[in-house]
Order: sequence, then C-alpha cells, then structure tokens
Amino acid sequence: MKRTRSINLERMRKLEDDNLSQPTPLRSKLKPLAVSVAAAVLVACSDGGEEAVVYSDIADCISKNPDQVDVCESAYNDAVNVAQESGPKYTSLEACTYDFGNRNCVPYQADSGQNWFIPAVAGFMLAEVIDEVGDAFERRRYRSAPLYTSYSRYSPFYGQWSSVDGYTYGTSRYGKIKVSDNAFKPKPKITRTISRGGFGSTVAAKSNWGGSSKSKGGWGSSKGGWGG
Amino acid sequence: MRRVVTNERPDWQERAREFGFKFHTMYGEAYWDESAYYEFSLRQIEDHIEDPTEELHQMCLDVVDKVVNDEELFAKFQIPEQHWDFIRRSWLNKEPSLYSRLDLAYDGKSPAKLYENNADTPTSLYESGFWQWLWLEDKIVSGVLHPNSDQFNSIQEKLIERFRSMGEIYPEQLLHFSCCRDTEEDRGTVQYLEDCAQEAGLFTEFVYIEDIGLGEIELGDDSGRCIPAFTDTDDQVIDWMFKLYPWEFMLREDFGGYFSKAQTSWIEPPWKALLSNKALMPLLWQLFPNHPNLLPCFFDEKQAAQHLNSYVKKPIFAREGANVSVFENGEMTYHSDGPYGEEGFIFQEFYPLPCFDNNYTLIGSWLIDNQPAGISVREDSTLITQDLSRYLPHIICP
Repeated sequence: MKRTRSINLERMRKLEDDNLSQPTPLRSKLKPLAVSVAAAVLVACSDGGEEAVVYSDIADCISKNPDQVDVCESAYNDAVNVAQESGPKYTSLEACTYDFGNRNCVPYQADSGQNWFIPAVAGFMLAEVIDEVGDAFERRRYRSAPLYTSYSRYSPFYGQWSSVDGYTYGTSRYGKIKVSDNAFKPKPKITRTISRGGFGSTVAAKSNWGGSSKSKGGWGSSKGGWGG
Repeated sequence: MRRVVTNERPDWQERAREFGFKFHTMYGEAYWDESAYYEFSLRQIEDHIEDPTEELHQMCLDVVDKVVNDEELFAKFQIPEQHWDFIRRSWLNKEPSLYSRLDLAYDGKSPAKLYENNADTPTSLYESGFWQWLWLEDKIVSGVLHPNSDQFNSIQEKLIERFRSMGEIYPEQLLHFSCCRDTEEDRGTVQYLEDCAQEAGLFTEFVYIEDIGLGEIELGDDSGRCIPAFTDTDDQVIDWMFKLYPWEFMLREDFGGYFSKAQTSWIEPPWKALLSNKALMPLLWQLFPNHPNLLPCFFDEKQAAQHLNSYVKKPIFAREGANVSVFENGEMTYHSDGPYGEEGFIFQEFYPLPCFDNNYTLIGSWLIDNQPAGISVREDSTLITQDLSRYLPHIICP
C-alpha cells in the first residue's frame, strides 16, 4: 500500500458547532507585571481526560509512592521551576496578598536581580504518560505542574486549585483529579514584548504590486498565498 | 499515466464543509477538480517518480553541503551576508526538516525533469495528504473505483510520524504555528499541520506572522545577560516555530537581525533558504551535469543562449510564476510581469509541460522527513498561463 493506512477522521472534522474535536481553551491573561485573576476557567473534566494526582510536597508524594523517590523529587522541582518562570509575579506583597490571601506569598529574586512576590506553590499535579513507541514497547514519562490556591475571598481561586496560566481545577483537595491534557501543556517563559510587526512587511509590499496577484504559474510555482 | 474523466462525488461540497476545506474554489474559479483523475502504474510511481525524488533530494542536499563551505557559491544565493553564519550553523547542527515538494515535468514515459524545489513553504499539502486520500476512500466505498486502487500518498502518516520524532528532538516544547493574515489557503495548510502535530501528541499554539513580537529573556547562565526572544500575542516566548513564510522575506525584514541571537528552533530550518532558492538549479547542473532528471541551467544568459535553443528566465526569488520570460531561438515569446527579479535570474532549458486532453500537467512530489511520501497533480489549461491551476486527484491502478 502506497497510501496512509488510516486517518483519525474525528480530528479532521471541522464542523463549526463541533468544538469538541478542536478545544480552544480560554486563557485568562496572567501577566508577569500586572496580574489580574478575574477570569478563571474550569478545565477539570468530569469524564474522560487525564488522571492526575495532587500532592502537597515531595514528602507527601514519596509517602504515597515509596518506590518513586526520584520521580517525586524531579516532578516537584520541575513544578517549582515552572512556577518561578511562568507563574504570576507581583511587585508588592499587598497586591499578591489581595489575590492569594494572608501568609500565602513569598519573596522571590529573579536571576536578573529583580525582586518579586509570588504565591507559594501549594501542591503539584503528577500524571503518568505512557507513550506508544512503535508496536513493541511503550515508554513511561511523567508530567507535573504547579498548583496554587487562594485564601482570599476576593479571588476566583478562593479554595480552588489554580495553575500558572489561570485555569482552575476544582476544590483544593489533595488526591486524584481528572484534568484535560492541556493541564500539562508546556509553559514557555513569559516576557515583556517590546515591539511587534517586524515580520510580514515583504508580503504587504509584494501584494501591493498591481499585477497578477491572482495568477498561477505554469512554471510550477504557486497559487495565491505565500506558500509555494 | 493517463487522464480519466469521472463523475464528481454528489456530496463533495458537503464533505468539504464537514472537513473544513474552504479553498476548493479561489477567485471564483475551481481549484479542486474531481471531474477527472490521473491514473499511474505502480512502476511509473516507484521507478519514475519515487526513486528519482529521493535521488534528486540527496543531490540537493549535496549542493547545500558544498555551498555552506564556499563563500563564493554562497554569494550566488543573494542571501544577506550577515545571515550566512546563521544558515551555516543550522546546517552543521543538522536541524531537522519537515517537508519539501519537488516540482516535476513527467509524461509517463520520459524521465521526470526537476523544475524547482519548493523546500521552504510548499503548499497544496492538505489537498494532497488528506483531501485526495478521502476522495479515493469515497470512490472505493461508492463502488466507482476498484477496491485495490491505491494512491502514492503516505503524506499524513509520515507527517504525524515526523512530528512525533521532532517532539523527541525538542522535548516538552510548545510548537507555535504561523502564517500571514488574510489567506485562507495558507491558514488551512497550517491548520492541517497543527492537526497532524496534535495527533502526534505535541502541544501547539497559533500566531499570525504579522503579530509576532520581540522581547528579551535572560540567557539562563547566571550572568544576568539577556538575549532577544520572539513572542506570541500572550507574551509567551516562542521556543519552536513552524512558519509558512519564506526565509528570503524573513531574513530581510525588521526582526531579521535577531535570528542569530534568539534561541528559537525553526521549521523549516534556516538552511532551507538555500534549497528553496533558484540558484540551486544551476549549481545542481554544475555538480551533476547531464543527469537524466535535471534540465540544463545557468547563471549566465550568454552561456544559456550558447547551449540551448530555448530557455526560461526565472527570478532567483519569486512566487506565483511572476517575472518569467521564455526565449525561443533568440526571440522572447512569453513574458509575465511581477514584483520580483531585483536579486537576479537563472536560465533554465525550456521544457514544456506534458499535455493530457488539452491540459498541461505538473507533478508535485512530496518528501516528508527526507523520504518520498506522495504526489500532487496540478493542471493548467494553457501551457503558459496566468490562470489558476487546478488540483486533480490521482490513483495507482489496481
């Protein structure tokens, strides 16, 4: 057979009213400087999704998984690193406390020397991922993500688990939860964008050329658009 | 190889809506055309297209390897000198590529001839990898085509496999996809690639080329030094990006100066700027003279006129068949206008496309992860045309 054996047609379907195949999570904008936690999005799934376990710290994880000391340590350390790099940061203790409650914020000095207040990591999610590699064997990996909770009644995260990008995962209890795969979506660093619009000028200039912008080449070049 | 007239599937427009294929008609003209299909023998596919595709691709890579080590050759590609090292490093680091499309003139009998290599931003991927695949499934289910009919098209399977292996090269990284605003075709192509990447288990985001931002991040070596970083509209740093936008444009634009310092990994990788460049064609002819799948090609018009009765003059950078001229026996017999050509031209033997029932047919031969993966067939109703070409499906005879 010279063609693809089978295709997951569910993924390829794009009916407008069918949002299930293409989940586009709403994102509350947790920016590093001015933090607003007004819009919380509940992403815990009642059915389906990935099973994760929430632990309070390394000791909690090890006590429940005595043979997984390495996994617990690296998962917790990864979670703390993600929290420091991608989590909410405040320039004042008051602002952080307003969102996350009393005695729940800690000072943090970035590598650049800048001083911040950040909410304490209240727990971390750990999920086991089994990758199917080839037909014969599978490989185990773990994903972890930091969780915060808020003691402030002004916060939508009051008594809830929340992630670095503002999702909530239900009431803050330790133990098993079901989460969507997006809970472990890699969290790139956040930075302040200094300028935009530095790409795309050529396409603008060339399309302003008054000629055959709708032409197709007989020389094997392309149709419209900027692919070839 | 022959062209077979067939009935359209009665519900194909509905199918197109179901699967989000929005650009089947462009500028009021049909682009997807299933009133006919092309039929190939397995031997034609394997011996005349698949094997030469693999060989041509390797020859192209040989040219890249030569060019990155030779400044005189590098200069022929009209790439700003400040970027040579950026491109060279990406080649020496073996940064992985996703895909390419070789455009071939093939009539079913004579050796296929390489027109050019769309190695950076090839499109018609969705139509090839998915939509013509679905067409064949539907035609078999409805009993119109024999159940043993096949297609040279493992594009989607190989794309997913390639994304999976790239995910191991860039573990735990978010893959940003990007194309320009206001083109449904490019957005559709990128959506298709996002679907394949997600099927491979990658996490993806999308940002328009025009919306990409520039910020700074710490180098992470405790020195406190900062390097530039590209960002999306949520200020997330772009660590890994697929862009459906040509390197030759990006390198010359305002943010082009930040490429060598930013740590973004790119699909396609920067060294593809050499493969997708028409300066490749004369160098292929220099390195592999008289190869059966190559057309004679020169940088110098005098040389071309000396060796060839008729030749085509093509700009080193161009899209849409613009700024092309044909010379036959010393006379210019065709010329198209356009905004390109300031970087110079190449001169390639004039080799007309084969004709099937008054249609001129071009084969696009896809490579995914350096392996031949399938073909697309496009038709024009005139040999030299400014019209939209149409996309037709194909089968391999049972």
